[in-house]
Amino acid sequence: MTADLSLLELLTATPLFAVGLTLVAYLLGNRLFQRLKRPSWLPAILIAALLLAGALALIGLPYPIYQQGAIWLTVLLGPATVALGMPLYQQLPRIVELWRPLAICLPIAATLAAFYALAIAWLLGSSDTILASIAAKSVTAPIAIGITEQLGGKVALLMGALLITGVITIPCVSIAARLLHIDDERLIGFALGLNGHAIGTVRAFEISPAAGAFASLGMSLTGIFTAILLPLAWRLLGMSSGYA
Amino acid sequence: MPALSGFLWLISYWLIGEVVIYFTGLPVSSGVIGMLLLCATLALYGRVPSSIAAAAQPLIALLAMLIMPGVVGVFFIIGELAGQWTAILIALVAGTLLSVVTTLWLLKRLIGQSYDR
Repeated sequence: MTADLSLLELLTATPLFAVGLTLVAYLLGNRLFQRLKRPSWLPAILIAALLLAGALALIGLPYPIYQQGAIWLTVLLGPATVALGMPLYQQLPRIVELWRPLAICLPIAATLAAFYALAIAWLLGSSDTILASIAAKSVTAPIAIGITEQLGGKVALLMGALLITGVITIPCVSIAARLLHIDDERLIGFALGLNGHAIGTVRAFEISPAAGAFASLGMSLTGIFTAILLPLAWRLLGMSSGYA
Repeated sequence: MPALSGFLWLISYWLIGEVVIYFTGLPVSSGVIGMLLLCATLALYGRVPSSIAAAAQPLIALLAMLIMPGVVGVFFIIGELAGQWTAILIALVAGTLLSVVTTLWLLKRLIGQSYDR
């Protein structure tokens, strides 16, 4: 037993074990996704996350130790977000064409993206901490983490809310687009990015580069808008509950 | 090494984002500021240099993998929030469905209007 423990300690002494584990889960998740004929209700990232969580539980690697090693990957999220400026530039003419409807839609839709979930959770009796943790559910991870810390929520729960929201956005968009008879890739992409942040944006790039660029736009604008809106709204709500 | 110099550009824009946040106190992540600055620079330059394309394309393709380590954290707090999950799940799923429908309906109406004019 002690020999096993020290082997795990030896392997996790460098970040390579955590990085390798993540790569294996990601590649296997993608392989399984292709094998299952790309189901829209089970995106590759969900399969991969389940595999990874299962592997961590199986080998008994505590999550904080894994997370420390995986920083080698998560740190790339910064430059990867910057990289989205490229498709954004390439689709700039098509975005400028639609700037007015997008500018009107964004503040309303981004507010409602947070409001609907908060209202339902509040009606179902969720605690303040839970509300603070899921408020940024439609915001891309690097911004959402900052918002959640500011509101006093739990980052781990936020990440879960991000996963669930991103994954569920994909079938929701295809159902809603069919109901509303929308086949414009630009609108579908914008809705994917606005509601489903990075996971929705990845899906939009699978549809077409134009959809991906509109998703990047929706994702970044929602992030910026929500980062300003939620802390303000929280302060107002906090004041009113203080009076009550 | 075009991809390497492109990667250096991406890192530099991210770092510039950090500097901007430090001086302005904007509640936004440096990635988003870097993205907008990169887009603005490319618009001024008029085309995408092959070095930036070589670094940006593979990174964008890996976006889903990069958020995986954070996302997995939720499986380790499932026990902590026992009894609360039904409410959280209903709120997230129903809330997202409602907001997706609103977004698309709104866009369709707004764009339909601008075509009519």
